Amino acid sequence: MLRLKATPFDQIKWQPGRRTLNKPAAAIAGSGATPYYFRGKSAPQTQYELIGKAVIAACVDAGIAVTEIDGLVSYAHGFEASNICEMLGIPELSYAATVTGQGGGSAGVLDLAASAIETGRARHVVCIGCSQQLGGHRYGTSLASLATTSTGVFSLFAGLVGPGPSMALLARRHMHKYGTRREAFAEVVMASRDYAQTMPEAIRKNPVTLDDYFAAPMLADPLCRLDFCLETDAALAFVVTGSDRARDLRHKPVYIEGAAHGGGGDWGRGFLSLNMPDDVFASAGSERVARQVYARAGVSAKDIDVALIYDHFSPLVVMQLEDYGFCPRGEGGRFVESGAIRPGGAIPVNPHGGHLSECYAIGMTHIREAVEQLRGTAVNQVPDARLALVTGGPAPVPVSAAILGN
Amino acid sequence: MISTAPAIADIPLPIDQWTQPFWSAACRCELVMPCCADCGTWRWPPGPFCPHCLSQAIAWQLAGPARLYSFAIVHRPGPTPADSPQAIVPGLVEFPEAGGMRIAAAIIDSKIDRIAIGSALSVRWVPKDETNVPMFVVV
Ligand SMILES: [Zn+2]
Repeated sequence: MLRLKATPFDQIKWQPGRRTLNKPAAAIAGSGATPYYFRGKSAPQTQYELIGKAVIAACVDAGIAVTEIDGLVSYAHGFEASNICEMLGIPELSYAATVTGQGGGSAGVLDLAASAIETGRARHVVCIGCSQQLGGHRYGTSLASLATTSTGVFSLFAGLVGPGPSMALLARRHMHKYGTRREAFAEVVMASRDYAQTMPEAIRKNPVTLDDYFAAPMLADPLCRLDFCLETDAALAFVVTGSDRARDLRHKPVYIEGAAHGGGGDWGRGFLSLNMPDDVFASAGSERVARQVYARAGVSAKDIDVALIYDHFSPLVVMQLEDYGFCPRGEGGRFVESGAIRPGGAIPVNPHGGHLSECYAIGMTHIREAVEQLRGTAVNQVPDARLALVTGGPAPVPVSAAILGN
Repeated sequence: MISTAPAIADIPLPIDQWTQPFWSAACRCELVMPCCADCGTWRWPPGPFCPHCLSQAIAWQLAGPARLYSFAIVHRPGPTPADSPQAIVPGLVEFPEAGGMRIAAAIIDSKIDRIAIGSALSVRWVPKDETNVPMFVVV
């Protein structure tokens, strides 16, 4: 069934995607994933095997043949379109692109895919993300390899060996500047863990109390172990197609209302440069992309029903809530402590448990959750969710975001 | 508890033409930072262009007094089980007289409870290869 339906390339009638029925031109029609594994436990599967399984699952979910894929979009980490074509027997590509960067671009795959659909460059674009940490390679120590450059070496000499201590610099500045308390970071962790309890595949499900949080070892003060996300293996893939086409497929389309990848030069390399202006330093570097994505979708923060916020470190969730306008600058701590990100709160955040509790796949599980929320099939369904915000990581530019709707 | 210097002996020190003046001055225990020779804009890290006017001309100047902009405290076990645990303090050191530029550097030999944002710092040069690496103590 996966190989039968492909239309020969020269018989495809090409036309740019367009808004129809007052809906955006591009939509997510399929969502697929491998199981979620603790770091290293996906062996002996290779990264490409994981990717292949996710792509096939996404095509099955959409109800298209793998051979109908004519666009491939990936998020950094060096997946080669050629390998994927060869592995899956994809006959012809007319679009292949990668979001550059180091954690910020995850939601940007939807921007690239929508661009391909809107301009008629491809009909079925598959977006791919994969995290696999084998053989002692760990993202937690990834700065050690990044920083052995003539300018990066200063971070190593300072003892900034992983992203954790660098994020701690931002978090401490936010606490200093705005009076943010560790209780706020704890609330992000506790909310995530409470949501994860019902998620069938969540890696960490045991609830966390405030006492547990304050008893956890400090890994990079002011960050404790519970502020760090999981290290897990998984691949996810999403089929993006024209909205007309999506309406003929198996699921209710999840429309790409707006997407953006980019950011401010003043944020630049963010925690790798550490020379951002003071007000930008104590942020998640996402304010400009927030402006872009809201403008493209024609909505604002108050219209968003559920937010899938990239949560590699809990303080950066607090800062993104400010960047994306859910609360004023500096109020993020008090905002989350008020219960705002819980079920029924002002903006439910990461009902799947996110990177902190469910699985870390470099932002891709957030897209999956947005799709399920908007199909109405999520485990922790936000009632009547119409618009979901998905963010990419607060990382060097490009950072990214997408607003999805049903 | 007193903060410990991170081990830097095994970290390679790549130097290019834009960072070389920094390390030459560090060899003389002088902390200098790049300032655009045309428009006077400070920048960090050192690189081929002034991000303000795109000039390539640099005037390296003494960075002046240092203060702590932010920091983390990383606890780790001592070198052997018999040693007491260590605290390494990656800091972000700000130079108000050098355009507020910041360098990541370790805060060493300082009482943990005296390390705070805004603390005045003085440089300690730690020998490394043919030059010295700047680390800082709370004054
Ligand atoms: Zn200049």
